Amino acid sequence: MFKDGAAKQLTDFLQAVGVQKQSTVTNHGISFLVPWVLFFIGLVVIPVLYYAGLITVGTVNMLGRYMAFAIVAVGLDLIWGYTGILSLCQAFFFSLGGYAMGMYLAHHGGPEGIIDANGWKIPACLYVVYPYKVGEAPADALVPWFWKPFYTLPVTTILGLLVPGLAALAIGFVGFRSRVRGVYFAILTQAITVAGWLVFCMNNMKLCGTNGLTRFDRIAGFQLTNPNVKVSLYVITLLALAGVYLLCQHVVKSRVGRILIAIRDDEPTLRFSGYKPYIYKLFAFCLAGMIAGLGGMLYAPQMGIFTPTNMEASASILVVVWVAVGGRGALSGAILGALTVNLLYNFFTSEKNLLILTWKAEYWQFVLGSLFIGVVLLFPGGLIDLWRRLAGIIRQRAII
Amino acid sequence: MQRVTLFYLIALLFTSFSLSLALPSSAQSSDEFIRAEVRNLADESRSIRKAAVMALAKTGDMRVEAILESFKLGELYLWSDVVVLCKETFEDDDYNEFCRLVDVLTGEPMLDAGGKRYEIPIEELEEISVSRAERKLANNAKFLVRLSSPDNEIRMSGAKKCGDPPGIIESVPQLEQMSAHDSVKKIRYIAKESLLLIRLNQTSLEKDAEPHLAIVSELGNMKSMRGLPRLQETYHELSAGLALPEATEEEATNTYKFAIDQINGYQSFVGGIGNIFRGLSLGSVLILMALGLAITFGLMGVINMAHGELMMIGAYATFEMQRVFGHTPDNPSDLYYVAALPVAFLTAAFVGYLIEISVVRHLYRRPLESLLATWGIGLILIQVVRIRYGDNIGVNAPTWARGGLEVMQDLIVPYSRCFIIVLCGLCVLLIYYLMNHTKLGLRMRATMQNRNMANSVGVNTQRVDRYTFAFGSGIAGVAGYAWTLIGGVTPDMGQTNFIIDSFLVVVTGGVGELIGVICAGLGIGVLTKVIEPMTIGPFVVGAIWAKILLLLIIVGFIQFKPAGLFSPKGRLSDV
Repeated sequence: MFKDGAAKQLTDFLQAVGVQKQSTVTNHGISFLVPWVLFFIGLVVIPVLYYAGLITVGTVNMLGRYMAFAIVAVGLDLIWGYTGILSLCQAFFFSLGGYAMGMYLAHHGGPEGIIDANGWKIPACLYVVYPYKVGEAPADALVPWFWKPFYTLPVTTILGLLVPGLAALAIGFVGFRSRVRGVYFAILTQAITVAGWLVFCMNNMKLCGTNGLTRFDRIAGFQLTNPNVKVSLYVITLLALAGVYLLCQHVVKSRVGRILIAIRDDEPTLRFSGYKPYIYKLFAFCLAGMIAGLGGMLYAPQMGIFTPTNMEASASILVVVWVAVGGRGALSGAILGALTVNLLYNFFTSEKNLLILTWKAEYWQFVLGSLFIGVVLLFPGGLIDLWRRLAGIIRQRAII
Repeated sequence: MQRVTLFYLIALLFTSFSLSLALPSSAQSSDEFIRAEVRNLADESRSIRKAAVMALAKTGDMRVEAILESFKLGELYLWSDVVVLCKETFEDDDYNEFCRLVDVLTGEPMLDAGGKRYEIPIEELEEISVSRAERKLANNAKFLVRLSSPDNEIRMSGAKKCGDPPGIIESVPQLEQMSAHDSVKKIRYIAKESLLLIRLNQTSLEKDAEPHLAIVSELGNMKSMRGLPRLQETYHELSAGLALPEATEEEATNTYKFAIDQINGYQSFVGGIGNIFRGLSLGSVLILMALGLAITFGLMGVINMAHGELMMIGAYATFEMQRVFGHTPDNPSDLYYVAALPVAFLTAAFVGYLIEISVVRHLYRRPLESLLATWGIGLILIQVVRIRYGDNIGVNAPTWARGGLEVMQDLIVPYSRCFIIVLCGLCVLLIYYLMNHTKLGLRMRATMQNRNMANSVGVNTQRVDRYTFAFGSGIAGVAGYAWTLIGGVTPDMGQTNFIIDSFLVVVTGGVGELIGVICAGLGIGVLTKVIEPMTIGPFVVGAIWAKILLLLIIVGFIQFKPAGLFSPKGRLSDV
């Protein structure tokens, strides 16, 4: 659908190589306001509502989690909407970040403490599925080496960004170098996600298996159950989302961003004019991976548990649907889409009594499936496009 | 036509099997002879009783087994010079015990002249006392009966049982005779194996090392699986240290080790072939799946993520047919599986057709969008099936697909997997024929190469697309139908197990050619099953790491051949 015609390709290409300064991809007019309106609502209205007692802390916490999802969606929009690479392993990167933070939280969580020979307290969730008993493990060390770096928050934060970034680098390198494109790349990344999911589900990997990381207690010394901590986490997530949004906005408006768009629209032409697309693709892919990792890191403490289900193949495709519903090719669309779909999920997975029939949680799959189909067939531009069209109509009416 | 032939084949097999059970064999001794020998069981003389047991054992009549069992349990009585069976007694109102007599041979109630059941006061019956030794003999003789049975299966089980520890020494002469002269090769082998095992027990390493070790190496030469645990046991004892002369000990260790290695080597060889075979059948299912994907991708530039769900629908259609025919393991109705093939194909094809006209036709040449939309369709289909059928169902294989054919010693090829491979071969031939020798195939190829040109020379490309998509979906349904023989059926089986694997087949094989899909499918199937049981150091690779290793192999492969094994060249390749 991006191959709109030779003329557009040519302009895009010219932009990409910097001939023309005028950008046609930024958001015009009223849609430019969307992210700032959302940001204002998030930062001011929600806390005010909470402290006024109109919404519960649970709602704030839920919104915080959905914002963590929105961060992932922004990353995917950068790689899919702008660069044209459909990545189906964003959930994998998300989980890598989530597991990093989860391991930190598990280190400092849980009531019971079993201390191994080297003085490390073994996390409660790990102890449940640990393949050895105390003293049986090789060299009498119960806490595996790869758990140890995640003991302090700063190192965890760095690793939580670095590990997904490096994973993205490796995947992108083998993928882009051999010019795996389009659906092939999508399938490849999905296969990698499934492989990662299988590994994280194994009990003897010492990653807590399908139970996942649990028994979180405190983050940086603060109790996670404290409502004020929850609100703070929500605000931090919101600020991170704003930061990620601004960063990506900066990237797509920069020269690199133009090249990314050129890759999306006509990669061979770009290559023939002397660029090395795969370096730019690698950059975008790594950035998107790190952003997804950040989302995971913010999600874990708010959810209170982190399991391999976050890594399933369907989870990755879900991220794609968030972006598609919001409208790809517009970063604010990704945020809008992630929030909308998740709020819909929240709405439709509770049992309701309609007039004659009962709405059951299992019907959500029908809604989701219809969303997939509907967004592709009926609203390929997503919500943001709908908003723009509506705004256009209003403006025309106003002029008349 | 093909299905009708298959049906007759199955019917033929079935009838011949039941006939072979029912036909009386000429080798069976006459009832009079058995009755006479049974009378001898009640003889005063111990030697006559023993001879009677052995004579009964030689008859090979399976009814003797029951008689000997009753003899062992002391259920046989002598009543007016006839041996009768009395299993139950009852009491009248005066607490007198009576017995209902049963014929030893037929197992039916004995009737007097008036057609009334004999009910005899228990005092009139003379108990046949059985000594401990006789009880043991009778117990062993039960298996000896099997040795003389005309039925191959029964004879084989008897031969096997005779050699199992502690071994039935009375069977040695007959086993010797069987190992040389039996008409079935497998039985000759088992008889010899049992014979060696019995002798292995009789000869001890301490006293007569020479013949003992000869038997050990003979077992090694025979690659005897049944001998392996016993050889290993003694080998461990040997390495723990037995009181033996040094020279003997060294020789014994060497002989044992050599024999064990021989057996183990053969077993891993046979296991390897078995794995390849399992891989071939898995690959066949993958091929059936990937063919539809490759064709629709090549023709329409559409990625169908609901393809796995079409397979699932094929499997559930098979399940539905099983219900319609009322097939259960106890009450088999094998015809259901024959009927399920067209039903699975047509159901999946119909659903595919609906998907095409409702969604896919809007998405030509937009693979990424079609990926999303069809994933949504998949979600809906899964949920519909889950609400209708729940999470797990069982499809019972038809009786003819149970069991397998022993191609080599210890190498059993299951019929179900053979069937899948054959089915896949037929489907591939059918598709090849369809693509290359029919009008539809010609139009299909024309559309694939240049849609606009084909359209302008009068090909109704839209109809071609529909039929092709429906056909590919139907083939996926057949894959699901075949899978019910070897795997579990769940609503999300396509999404979790098959869709990614079959896409990897397409990616590896290339979109252009059928042959690419076939090579890649078989390759991935076989590699999966070969890697799975491999060991690296002390670790077994297992299913999960095999999958990951395979993925790495594919990623590495793509580095060299980005467009797959057999990729279209030139402008066609730039999809």
